[in-house]
Amino acid sequence: MTPRVPFPFTPFTRRDWIKLTGAAALTPGLGAAASPGPTAFYRPIDYTKAKAIPTICFGCTTQCGVLGWVEDGRVRRISGNPLDPNSRGRICAKANGVIDLTYYPERILHPLRRTGPRGSGQWERITWDEALDEIAARMRKLKEEDRAHHLAVQVGRDKTQGLMQRFLHAFGSPQQLNRRAICSSNPRVANMSYFGESVDWDTGDYEQSKLILNFGANPMEAHQGGMGALQRIQKARCDKGARLVTFEVRPSATASVSDEFFPVRAGTDGAIAMAMAHVIVKNQLHDADFWDRWCNMPFADIEKHLEPFTPAFAEAESGVPAADIERLAIEFAKAAPHCLTLINRGITKHYNGAHAGRAARLLDILVGNIGRPGGFTMTTRSAWKGGWGQDGLPETEFPSPAPPAPPAWLPGTTMFAELPESVQARVKAFPKSWQEKYFGELYTPSEYPLSWQWQVMRVGQLVYPYLKEGRAKLDTYISYTFNSAYNYPEASLAREVLLDETLLPFHIAIDVVMSETSALADIILPEAAAFERWDPQVTNAYDLIPFTAIRQPLHPPLGEARSVLRIFRDLARRVGHGMDAYFAFEEEEEFYKGWFKNLPITWEEFKRRGIWYDEKRSKDYELHEQPVPESELAGAAFDEKTGIYSVEKKGKASAIGVKLADGSVVRGFPSRSRKVEVMQDLFVQGAKYAGLPADDPCGNPLPTYFKVPSHVDMKEDEFHWVTFKWNAHTQSRSNYSKRLAEIIHTNPIWMHPDAGKKLGVKSGDTIEVTVKRPKGNTYRAGEEKPVGTIRHKVLLRRGMHPRVLACSHHCGHTQMGIVGNPDRPEGPVPGIEGMDPALLTDRDLPNNLWWARKRGGPGNGMAINDTFPIDPTPLIGTQNWFDCVATVKKVTPV
Amino acid sequence: MKFDPSAPLPWENLGPHLAKPRKRVGMVIDQVRCVGCHACSIACKTEHDVQLGGFRIRTHYLDHPERPVHGFLPMMCMHCQDAPCITACPNDAIVRLDDGRVEISKSDCDMDTRCVSACPYGAIHIDRQQMKADKCNFCVPRTDVGLEPACVEACPTGTLLFGDLDDPEDPVAILAAAKGAQAMKAAAGTRPSVVYIGLESWMEKDNPGVQLQSGESGVIYEQGDAPPAHVGETRKKPTTRPEPEN
Repeated sequence: MTPRVPFPFTPFTRRDWIKLTGAAALTPGLGAAASPGPTAFYRPIDYTKAKAIPTICFGCTTQCGVLGWVEDGRVRRISGNPLDPNSRGRICAKANGVIDLTYYPERILHPLRRTGPRGSGQWERITWDEALDEIAARMRKLKEEDRAHHLAVQVGRDKTQGLMQRFLHAFGSPQQLNRRAICSSNPRVANMSYFGESVDWDTGDYEQSKLILNFGANPMEAHQGGMGALQRIQKARCDKGARLVTFEVRPSATASVSDEFFPVRAGTDGAIAMAMAHVIVKNQLHDADFWDRWCNMPFADIEKHLEPFTPAFAEAESGVPAADIERLAIEFAKAAPHCLTLINRGITKHYNGAHAGRAARLLDILVGNIGRPGGFTMTTRSAWKGGWGQDGLPETEFPSPAPPAPPAWLPGTTMFAELPESVQARVKAFPKSWQEKYFGELYTPSEYPLSWQWQVMRVGQLVYPYLKEGRAKLDTYISYTFNSAYNYPEASLAREVLLDETLLPFHIAIDVVMSETSALADIILPEAAAFERWDPQVTNAYDLIPFTAIRQPLHPPLGEARSVLRIFRDLARRVGHGMDAYFAFEEEEEFYKGWFKNLPITWEEFKRRGIWYDEKRSKDYELHEQPVPESELAGAAFDEKTGIYSVEKKGKASAIGVKLADGSVVRGFPSRSRKVEVMQDLFVQGAKYAGLPADDPCGNPLPTYFKVPSHVDMKEDEFHWVTFKWNAHTQSRSNYSKRLAEIIHTNPIWMHPDAGKKLGVKSGDTIEVTVKRPKGNTYRAGEEKPVGTIRHKVLLRRGMHPRVLACSHHCGHTQMGIVGNPDRPEGPVPGIEGMDPALLTDRDLPNNLWWARKRGGPGNGMAINDTFPIDPTPLIGTQNWFDCVATVKKVTPV
Repeated sequence: MKFDPSAPLPWENLGPHLAKPRKRVGMVIDQVRCVGCHACSIACKTEHDVQLGGFRIRTHYLDHPERPVHGFLPMMCMHCQDAPCITACPNDAIVRLDDGRVEISKSDCDMDTRCVSACPYGAIHIDRQQMKADKCNFCVPRTDVGLEPACVEACPTGTLLFGDLDDPEDPVAILAAAKGAQAMKAAAGTRPSVVYIGLESWMEKDNPGVQLQSGESGVIYEQGDAPPAHVGETRKKPTTRPEPEN
């Protein structure tokens, strides 16, 4: 039994408290000296006086509509906006954590410039004029030296709907970098390679479904769109008898509530999916009409392709009994169309992930549940863009003209000349249409061409190695709410490059709190917190009716913080060189009013509700089957060979529908052929131009399964090393919240009790995990020297796969203020004049952070991403988070 | 959703006129629906600025005895009809309101900790800055203006339902009756006004209650680490209240 730890308690009387804080009246927005106004002690919220302002949560990317309850100018509570059709007025734990960020005593409230060496933690407060002038001067110099492409912005989370691109294009740089490869590029490719549409949240019609096959997704805990997904899945299960079947390596919350849970070996879900497809086809349980009408290959060919993938083969790979695979496949087909698969994202975060994701999605295609009630539905982001199916939402527009896109890096340009010769040779071999889309190795890496075919997704984790190897050059690097120094794979390499002033000469961080990355900046610009700014929103719609929402400020930004819109506008104006023409707007509210000018309700009414959708609109079922109106066909061009009708839009042919074999003219899918492209030639081409061997399975045009190279010849005593996310946290960016950190503050390594017994460890013992370099066609493949080693406590959990070790993300911060790192020496951080460096305005800080080591607690856990190798999926570049192989040993306490 | 600008929105015009008169307020916790998301406890802690280390409502991650997974169990003050805390408090600081809820009157509390020990559910913690006992009161400031308790409003799966258990027409009372909702630790004889659907005996076994504890068999705290020892550290057998003097 773990010894009880005494609750650390500083005798702090009520009188002391009032003496310290009593004078601090609530004065948001007044700057340094102003306190956000502590409640000396709890004062109940007076709901007759508090004003509820609809806005949008920024606890994660799901972007739920919420109400901010504002009393005396301070946000007291966040509750759900009942008008939000996704979240239906419900919230998760993280929503109220955003309040903790807004009033975090150590929030950055003024522009800062470093005074010591980079990363030394020495800062001076500067004015906005000084900060912007210094950055603008640097940018002007780049422009004058014809090096605009040496400016990059890399974002962690950007909900401005195009602001970064506008800023960069106005300057003449394509380098808008992101973190998509860290999260969703493989599931997106799985969907886009079939349908031309990324369906990035895996939005099915869950509530009508009867059988959901979940391949390693975690909708109950950490799914994109989780708030909408989990309540619909639970409603279907608890009220309508639906079943959720989960294949997962550890007992996640989703596995726990699942009706059936199969612990699987990491990286083998694809074998299960392929075997299920095999069973469906063998038993002729597929929807032949759907296949013949929509799929781009003969059924006999897929039958033949699936032949070797038997349930017995899948059992040998995954450990899931063949009988269960067979039974579930038959049940799945019989439930059609009220059945669907989840592939976002466990199954797809592997070397074989895109193909495994395709294999699972093939089940949906085979049984013909696509777009049908209870099935895999594609919603409305396309409809929003007006390009597919019925009209989406009214068009929005950035109320200022758009800058032209910068020129492609064609052979002969100065940008091209900067590339290493090997890259030049590869790009020269590309087809012309690819060359015209090529913008250098950071934006469109030549070895990962499928990361920029359907969408430009980028391979963010390669930015640092590419800079280090000289494959790309940058001068000015703006990181925006982005924390690669903590949460990227091989974060130590990110830190190394961020520290190196020859590789990244000038680093500007835009952030709300000090992160591990902003700590390595030259200038920090304080951003308005989520509840202090505007953003237009559109997300996937679980009820299959597109809706739009507005994030609006609950009060002005505290201190000197500014919205990112304003920061980029002001910067553009200072740079000049014509940039200001694209930022010709004054007030932020006027700007967004213009953005939404086509909404059929007034601006005031929109702000009052926070959400709008067309209540007369029907659900987006089977968008692909919608007939194209005669009126549209009249002026359209028809291609005999493909059967595609198209019209000219902005100088380009834009498809509006397809003529099918039976003569009907319907919208079809947004893929290039308007069909379901089961046979996807881009894999073949991608493999060819990326230089993969001809027989490499990554180049297979059909959904398939092959063993992850790192897992071939895994030794008996080696473990899969995987990471996971908790329901109370969002990636690396929620450890400012004392309340969320109280729930999850440390991250012991989960291990199966049998494995523990073999190793001779029990819960609470320390183990040492050494992670190997991955194999296959990947970064630093097969190098002998391990990626990294950590020592950490172990937690034995039944439900783990016996060959898997799982350790959660979120913990072990060195920055993020006193909550992120409660064992930091107390006292103000030099140079940072937050709203309350003495930490007196929050009743719990710092003395009640009971989990701090110095208070006898377990500490704040370990940052584990130094042990995850940079390992991009061939062709696509998704980080293969769940492919790691590690050796383990017990650490004997000294 | 009809876009009638003249109609009030659900959050507008809150006030006492919306408060529902109830005979016995209570909750049904449909354990089967819970996904362990912690929305309830964070909403509660924000609403009431509950001190770190103490909880008014908390969701346990239990080790399922048969399947290798978690069972999720929200725990909170049960607002017992025979409340041992009321009996234990020497100052009459714990009172029963007209609608049956049990509340701590902060002005009367002198941090005698007998209530903490008396509660079989671990529902009471000591706020060591206010020097007062603290626990759930079903969000009096919210229900007084027609809102549901913060935890119920937040819960995304309909696990937590609030209503009048003595009103046969109330949907929550109907549900409790239809599903045979049960009291937690019925043997304690406290007659809770918070009842569970899907409660199984293994969930009650060694259940340490609302506050953070660790090390008890069958119970895993999400972190597997040692939480703070509360005043519960000195938890004694429930003491009976001294005989009144008059």
